[in-house]
Amino acid sequence: MQVLFLSCLRASELIEKDLHLRLGLLEQLQLKMHKTMCNTCNRYGKHSVLIENGIRDLQRKEAMSIDFEELEKRIILNLKKI
Amino acid sequence: MKKDTIESLVYLHTKELYNWAFYKTSRSDVAEDLVQETFLAATEKAESFKELSSPKTWLFSILNHKIIDFYRKKMNHTIRLDRKELATYFDDNMEWKKDKRPRDWTEDETHLLDNQNFQEILKKCLDHLPEKWNTCIKLKYLSEKNGKDICQEIGISTTNFWQIVHRAKLKLRDCIETNWLKK
Repeated sequence: MQVLFLSCLRASELIEKDLHLRLGLLEQLQLKMHKTMCNTCNRYGKHSVLIENGIRDLQRKEAMSIDFEELEKRIILNLKKI
Repeated sequence: MKKDTIESLVYLHTKELYNWAFYKTSRSDVAEDLVQETFLAATEKAESFKELSSPKTWLFSILNHKIIDFYRKKMNHTIRLDRKELATYFDDNMEWKKDKRPRDWTEDETHLLDNQNFQEILKKCLDHLPEKWNTCIKLKYLSEKNGKDICQEIGISTTNFWQIVHRAKLKLRDCIETNWLKK
């Protein structure tokens, strides 16, 4: 049984690992166990997903906000210098 | 290839090149610079352009080299993490410190992302992260690549990668919470 118990530090690490890479079978089990018992880490997990989505939205907005005409002009101007 | 041909390529391909560079780097200022450098390099190397490939393919291959260089310079392999920093959030038993335990942000989390204030706080907190952390954390979101591909691209180990993401998230979350609940 002992092997199934995680510290909150380890649990929060696994929450991130789970979002970005893949968890092993034991890790999956450990995390599941921990989350059923620990509200705080559960909340951490929810916040983490929320932050992910927030960054994604911000990035999309940033990608769309560029003025291409201005960029093209600037590039041409620099090309003329060489 | 003549110089004015390159100019016409600027009008034809800037948008696509930029979108690709942004997708790869997640930063608009970096993407702009890389596209700019690509055309400069193209002008300098115009003589060596072979009609065998299309100008577009040629430009993209120059850009891809620039992107790789950008990461090589930036990351230089392992990013050192200080274990001590975790002590900000966790006690000796590796449990959450009382004042650092995640708290409730709102009753209705589904609409939080539409909240202007919340967006501003998130942006501000992101800007406060150390630059390398910031790159690691942003990379995934835009390109929607998995962690493994990202690691290969920037030349760090997968363990190092998610540990960085973990530290970055702890800091980011804490910063958001402090600013958000202050209101």
